[in-house]
Amino acid sequence: MIEFVFILPIVAGLTALALPVSMGRILLMITALLHFQLTIMSWIGKLTPTFPNFFSASPEGLLILLVTSFIFIWISIYSYSYMNETEVENKPVFNCCMLLFLGTMSMVTLAEHPIVLWIAVEATTLVSAPLIFVHHSRDALEATWKYILICSVGIALALLGCFFITLAMDLGNIDAPLSFNSLNEVATKLDPVWLKVGFIFVVIGFGTKMGLAPMHTWLPDAHSQAPSPASAMLSGALLNCAFLGIFKVHVLMNVAGLGDFSSNVLIGFGLVSMLVGAVFIIGQPDYKRMLAYSSIKNMGVIAFGVGIGGFAMYGAFLHLIHHSLLKSSLFLSAGNILLAFGTKRVQRIGGVINHLPKTFVSFFAGFIGISGLPPFGLFISEIIIITGAFQSGRYLSVAVFLFALLLVFAGAGRVFMSMSFGKPSGKVEHGELKLRLLPPYALLVASVVLCIWMPDVIYQAIINTIETVGGGIHG
Amino acid sequence: MINITEIILVITLLSVLLSLGSTRLMMLVKVMALQGIMVSLTPLFLKSHGSLSSGAIIFFQVMILIKGLLIPGLLYLAVKRVAIKREIEPFIGYHASILAGLVIILVSVFITNNLRLSLPEGHGMVLITAITTMASGFFLMMGRSKAITQIIGYLMLENGIYLIGTALTNHRHTIYVVEFGVLLDLLVGVMIMGIILHNINSTFEDVDTTLLGRLKD
Repeated sequence: MIEFVFILPIVAGLTALALPVSMGRILLMITALLHFQLTIMSWIGKLTPTFPNFFSASPEGLLILLVTSFIFIWISIYSYSYMNETEVENKPVFNCCMLLFLGTMSMVTLAEHPIVLWIAVEATTLVSAPLIFVHHSRDALEATWKYILICSVGIALALLGCFFITLAMDLGNIDAPLSFNSLNEVATKLDPVWLKVGFIFVVIGFGTKMGLAPMHTWLPDAHSQAPSPASAMLSGALLNCAFLGIFKVHVLMNVAGLGDFSSNVLIGFGLVSMLVGAVFIIGQPDYKRMLAYSSIKNMGVIAFGVGIGGFAMYGAFLHLIHHSLLKSSLFLSAGNILLAFGTKRVQRIGGVINHLPKTFVSFFAGFIGISGLPPFGLFISEIIIITGAFQSGRYLSVAVFLFALLLVFAGAGRVFMSMSFGKPSGKVEHGELKLRLLPPYALLVASVVLCIWMPDVIYQAIINTIETVGGGIHG
Repeated sequence: MINITEIILVITLLSVLLSLGSTRLMMLVKVMALQGIMVSLTPLFLKSHGSLSSGAIIFFQVMILIKGLLIPGLLYLAVKRVAIKREIEPFIGYHASILAGLVIILVSVFITNNLRLSLPEGHGMVLITAITTMASGFFLMMGRSKAITQIIGYLMLENGIYLIGTALTNHRHTIYVVEFGVLLDLLVGVMIMGIILHNINSTFEDVDTTLLGRLKD
């Protein structure tokens, strides 16, 4: 009964609505741990799907489920303390929506039927909208409206894409159940024209949710207005889930022999996203928005790596894992700074190193990680992607890639330097608490550890994921 | 000979034009209720579907209930509660909108004829209606400044996508459980949009989306 993985958080979320806030917080942490346990059980194959037409455990899904579950444990610990110190009108709703968010995302990772996947992705939009609106300010209102409208319309186009894939099946006169596994089996008989149209719509639809430029416009607003634990979830987990939808259809295209077409589309969107993310990071006055644009850039890197294929595909999945760990860590550190200084403007913050020395360590380490410098994982994944791109002879793309990395480093460097070492500002409101410090550190350490020692199961899961698309560690 | 499917589709097309030209929000909500019912009825009269199982009949009833009653009801409540002082206020005028609607119909006919799909008999008309509904939904979202008209535009877009789903795909793939999930998502989506709409109204004392322009780079 692998469905427990998403049923548990959904039930717990609805329970949290009825419980008092303090108990809801504890429920959040307990559910996080139980969810991790269920995730491990599905990894070792203890859980089997009851409705195999709708849900199943694919290696790429399990990979993203593990990442989501792991970062959620730390985010739940963080939000235990964070939400205690912030003024919020309706705290049970926050607990409830965080759990529902986890549940719907787990549903995305396990979905096997394209339209079930669509339903789950749309459900993530709906349950995460209240999280962005938690602060009830005018800006939060605007961000929520943009988020829900742009994402809903975008994802509606993905539904259209799913229908076109079904049409491709009809035109090929195939009588098979509509699920990714059976689609892959009959892929060569599918009508290629409608499959291509379907892929374009799926990329536009799920790409909106994933934050690929130019459909990214909701992302910086939503990420900057949501409370930090929710931003960490949005950036570290949600974007991966949307990527999963694109990846599954990309696999289908490859099996159907249209891999070149879908690769080029992904490379194009990837490069545009990297450039857009990089350009907006430069001169960004709001540090949470800067982190959001960095997410757009990193999603571009992942799309680019998957598009290049081969060795780079391995790098793309490493990038996905490490981006989730580092970006959620950074959003949590940023939450500490926001609590202490009470502002998101870079200019009004200075001397983090003096006021919050422990947060400074995690914040600055996050900066080093996100810029792609060792010892953090993005260093390795970016080098692998660049090597893969060289192997396939895409020199111009590599040049654009490196240019975008350079811009990001310069833009982010300015923000991090002025915040950390700038002139110390007045006194800080909230000090540093252990519960708010431990999670960002733990996520950073996880990234370093994965860099040095990659467990065989995870390595094998990535290899299993990418070998159907012609990817592999040996190029 | 009069064909029921065609009557339904023509009413859907007319409802699209009517919604592009309507000056009153209440009117728009009623048109949407009509369109929702028509869209939910379409698959019942398409020839290829043959005899319906009891599960299907229950599903279509639920669908009419949600698309024809529940969602327009929610919109009706939203319009009443936010007590809109000024009516729709278009970026693009009503006459121009209707003209655009007609152009969209022509383009949809052109697209459908040029696709040369091997569609079952009578489905070409469904495709034309579907593309028109989708495109007009987009048009309504972009051409009006009120937040509530944007929700209605989104609903129209969804109606169009649903019609494409019924027109193009063979029904043996689509399982009613899955379609029910889509409907439920739509309903919850409109509910949440309604809540946010209410909040926009109480914060800004208006539901004009041009007021939402503070966040930018």
